[in-house]
Amino acid sequence: MKRRVTRALALGALLLALGWDRAGAQGYRLLLDSRAQRAAYRGVAADSIPIGDVVAGPTGGPRTPDGFAVRCPPGSAHCFFFRPGPRQEGRPMVTTADLTLWGVGVRGLSARINGRVGFDLGGDEVWPGTEPPVQLLEAYVEYAHRLFTLHGGRQLLVNRLGIVGFDGGRATGRVGRTGLELEAYAGLGLARATALPVTSPALDPLDDFQPRSRQVLAGAALGYRGRLADLRLDYQREVDRDTRNFVSERAALSVDFFPVERWSVAAAVDYDLANTWFGNADARVRYVAPWITATGGLRQYRPHFDLWTIWGAFSPVPYHAVNAGVQVRPMRGLEVRGRWERYVFSSTETQTPLVDVDDDGWRAGVGISVSPAPAWRFDAGYREEYGPGASSNGFDGTVTWLPTSTLSLTGYGATLDRPLEFRFDEASVDVVGIDAEWRPGSRLRLAVGGARYWETRDRPDAAAFDWNQTRLHARVTLTLRSDTDALRLPPALRTRPRTGSR
Amino acid sequence: MSRPSRSGALLALVALAGGSAVAGVARDRFDHWEHRELFPTCVGCHAGAAEPRASFWPAAEDCTACHDGIVEERVEWTPPTAPRASNLRFTHGGHAEEVARASMPDSTLQCRACHSEPGGDAMQVRVAVVRNCLDCHRITTDHLEAPDSACAACHVPLVQAARLTRTEVSRFPAPPSHRAPGFVERGHGKQSRVGEAGVAASCATCHARDFCTECHVNAPEVPAIQALATDPRSLTHRSELRAPPSHADSAFVRRHGGQARKEPLKCATCHAQESCLSCHAASPTAAHAIPAAGPGRGIGARVDRSRPTSHGLDFADTHEEAASSRPQNCSACHTRTQCLDCHRPNAADAPPGYHPAGFLTTHPAAAYARDVSCSDCHNQSQFCADCHVSAGLGSSDGLRGAGYHDAKGAFLLNHGQAARQSLESCVSCHSERDCLTCHSAQGGRRFNPHGPGFDPEALRRKNPSMCTACHGAAIPGG
Repeated sequence: MKRRVTRALALGALLLALGWDRAGAQGYRLLLDSRAQRAAYRGVAADSIPIGDVVAGPTGGPRTPDGFAVRCPPGSAHCFFFRPGPRQEGRPMVTTADLTLWGVGVRGLSARINGRVGFDLGGDEVWPGTEPPVQLLEAYVEYAHRLFTLHGGRQLLVNRLGIVGFDGGRATGRVGRTGLELEAYAGLGLARATALPVTSPALDPLDDFQPRSRQVLAGAALGYRGRLADLRLDYQREVDRDTRNFVSERAALSVDFFPVERWSVAAAVDYDLANTWFGNADARVRYVAPWITATGGLRQYRPHFDLWTIWGAFSPVPYHAVNAGVQVRPMRGLEVRGRWERYVFSSTETQTPLVDVDDDGWRAGVGISVSPAPAWRFDAGYREEYGPGASSNGFDGTVTWLPTSTLSLTGYGATLDRPLEFRFDEASVDVVGIDAEWRPGSRLRLAVGGARYWETRDRPDAAAFDWNQTRLHARVTLTLRSDTDALRLPPALRTRPRTGSR
Repeated sequence: MSRPSRSGALLALVALAGGSAVAGVARDRFDHWEHRELFPTCVGCHAGAAEPRASFWPAAEDCTACHDGIVEERVEWTPPTAPRASNLRFTHGGHAEEVARASMPDSTLQCRACHSEPGGDAMQVRVAVVRNCLDCHRITTDHLEAPDSACAACHVPLVQAARLTRTEVSRFPAPPSHRAPGFVERGHGKQSRVGEAGVAASCATCHARDFCTECHVNAPEVPAIQALATDPRSLTHRSELRAPPSHADSAFVRRHGGQARKEPLKCATCHAQESCLSCHAASPTAAHAIPAAGPGRGIGARVDRSRPTSHGLDFADTHEEAASSRPQNCSACHTRTQCLDCHRPNAADAPPGYHPAGFLTTHPAAAYARDVSCSDCHNQSQFCADCHVSAGLGSSDGLRGAGYHDAKGAFLLNHGQAARQSLESCVSCHSERDCLTCHSAQGGRRFNPHGPGFDPEALRRKNPSMCTACHGAAIPGG
C-alpha cells in the first residue's frame, strides 16, 4: 500500500511539474483540489447456526439463543443471520488536478486533463471509489473551428444515454446557421459512471462475470437548435471486442420546447434496441414567472443493464410516475416550495403469495428558504418517502451566515427515520453539523466541517445496535492560471438548498 | 452624531454656502440701471466692445472717483484681467463690426441687441439674452432644441472652451431630446453621426470622447466618437448605462447567443468580453467576437451571473432533458469540473453536497425506487456493491446473504416481484452466481427468470453469449 501511495504521489508530482513547466509559456488554468474526510459505519458479519439450535423469540419468530432473528431457507440445515460487525472507518483523501491548456500557437486548439489520486488513509480500504489510487477522468485535445469541433483522447460524452467515458475521437459539425449539428464518435468505452474500464478488478467486488476486454463504443447524433426548440437524436452502440456481441444498443430523443413566453416543455425518451423496450422517458411542463415556478410531469424509469451481465434477462419492470412541483417567491428573500411524486410499477407477472410487496409509492416534500439579509440564509424542509423496500421521513434545517464576503459558516441539523420493508431495521438518525468555508483570495478556497451522527436501529432482536459517529472533512482548492486567464472565475451559483425539499 | 443632527448640520452648511454664493454675486454685479443717468453709452466704460485694442473694462479709479467713502460708499473692485470663461464663439470686437456693417451704427443699440430683453431699456443690462442671439441668427426653435447645424454658430466645441471649469461644464443644461424615450438606446447614435467620420456639432458642444467611452466599449470602432477630442471635463456629465428593454424578456438569456452571433458589434456597444465571461467562463471563445475592456474603451455593462429562470431550485434533479437536448448550452456557463463534481463523485467529498446530510442512512428509500437514477453518477459495482461488501452485506457466497431479508420469512421463495421492481438494488449485494443457483436452465431449480417484455429473439441476435450463461450451448431457438 505504502509503495503504491509513494508511486502515485511521485507520478502526480511529475505530471504537475510537467504541466506547470509547459503552462508557463501558455494560457492555462490549473485547479488543484484536495479533499479528505473521516467517516465510519457499523459493519455486519454473516453468521449461521444449525436449524436445531434455533429458538422461538418473544413474538414467535426464529432466533438464535443469544437473541438474533434468523432466516431459515426452506430445506436448509442452517439458519442465517447477521451479527454486528466491526466498526468500519474510512478516511478517504482525494486530490484532483484539473488542467486546461490553450494558446499553443494554433487558434482553437486546447488540451484538458482531469485526474485524481485517491487513497483510503484508514488502511482498511473500506471506502468506495478510492481504488485504483490514480484515475484519469479526462485527457483530451480539442480543436474548435467555427464549423466543427474535434476531440481526441479520454473524454466524457454527455447525452440522454448518460455521461459516457471513452478513449477515442469525436467530431462535431455545424451546418452554417441552420442550427443543425452532427456528431459522430468512436473509441474504447469505459464502464458506466466511472473512469475505469469494465475490465478493472475494482469493478468486480462480488466476483461477477466480467468481460475480458474493453468494449468498442460508437455513436452518432443529430441536433437542432431553433428559436422555439432544441432537439437531439442519439444513437449509440457498444460492442464486445472479443465476441463481436453487442454490449448495448440504444437510441434516444430529447426535446426542449419553448412554445410561448414563460412556458417550456422538456421531454426525452430512450429506446433499448437490444431488449426492444423503452428505457427511461420523461416529459415535463414548466411555467416560470418571477414569483412562481411550477412544474408538472410524467416519467418512466427502467434500469439499464449491459448485455455482458445476465440482469436484463430478469426482466426489470419500469415504474410510471406523475409528479408536480411548485416554488413560490412571494417576496424578495423568501421562497416556499413543495414537490410531490406518485409512482406505480408495471406488473411483474409474478405470484408471491408469501411475501406481500408494495408495487407503488410516493414522495413528497416541502421546504422554505428565507434570506432576511444578504448575510443570512435559513433553509428548512420536511421530506417523506414511502415505497417498496424502504421508506424515510424527516426534517432538516440549515443556517448559513456570511460574516464577510470571503467567509461562510453553515450549521445544519436533521432528524430522519428509515423504516425498511424486508428487514428488521427501522433506523432513525439525528445529525448536527457545521461547515466553514474561507476564500482568502480568488485562487484559494479552504473548507472544514464536522458532523455528529446519532443512529438508533430499532429492531426487535439483539441486532439492534446503535451506531454513532463523528464525521470530519476538510478541503483545499487552489487555482493557478496564466496571465492570459487573468479574469477571475465567477463563483458557481449554488442552485439548490443544502437541505429541505428540492 | 445622531441622524437628525447630522442632517441639520448638512442643511446649515448648504444654506451657508448658498448664502455666500448669493452675497458674492451681489457684490460682483454692477447695477447698470442704478447708474443709467451717469453713463449714457456702453462704450464709455466698455470701450473694448467696439475697439479691440481698448480695455473692455473701466479702470478701477473710474469707480473710486465717486465711491471714495465720502461721496459714496467705498467699493473695492478691480477689472478682470481675462475675458469671462465661456464656450461662446463670440467676441465683442468681431461681433460689433458685423453688427455695424449690418445697419446699426449706434453703439447703444448694438449692445442692446444682445444684452437687453426685447423692448427693454438699454441700461437694463443682462448677460447675453439667448433669444436675441437666436433671433438674429434666424433660429426659430428654443435654444436647446436648435438644429445641429446651429450650435456651431455661437458655440465652440467643449475641448476648445478650455477655461471652463469642471463645475461650469457640469452645469450645462441637457437638451429635452436627451430625455426622450429611446434616446440612449437608439436615438443618440443616429444624431451624432455626420457623414462617414464626423460628429455632430451639437454633441461636441457639450461632450468629448471621454464621455462616450464611459459606456461605449466599441468607442475605437465608432467614427463619430473618434471624431471627438478627449477632454476629462466631459466626465462631469453623468451617464447611466441601462439595459435596453429587449434584455428584460424572459427568453433573452436563452436567445441572446444567437443574436450575439448575428450582430456581435451591436453587443459590443455596451459589453466588453468581461461581460460575457461573467457567465461564459467555461467557453471563453463565446466572447471573442467582441473586444475586451481596455484603454479608450468603456468597461462595459456589469453582468451579474444569475441563474436563468429555467434553473429553479429543483434544477439539479430535472436538468437532464435540457442537458441532453443541447449539451452545449450547459457548457456555455459551466465548466466540466462542475459537472464532474456530481457525475463523477469524489470519494472524499462529504455531504451535504448533492445529497443532504444523513443520506447514507436514508438512501435505501431513494435507491429502491430510484428517485433519480443513481447510476448516472455512481457505478453500481464500484460504489454500491463495493460498499455493501465492505459492510458485510455483499452476498458472494450463495445463500448466506439471505439472512439480510429477515423481516420476510419467505423472501427467498417469493422475491420475484421485489426483484423485478428493484433489480438494481438486488445487484448491489448479489452476484450473478447467487441468482443462477436457482435460475439457471442447466442446473439448480431451473426457475425461468424471464418476465414481461423479454424478447429472446432480439437478445439472442444482439448477444447470444448472455444466453449461454444459463442455457449453455443449448440456447432455445438458436
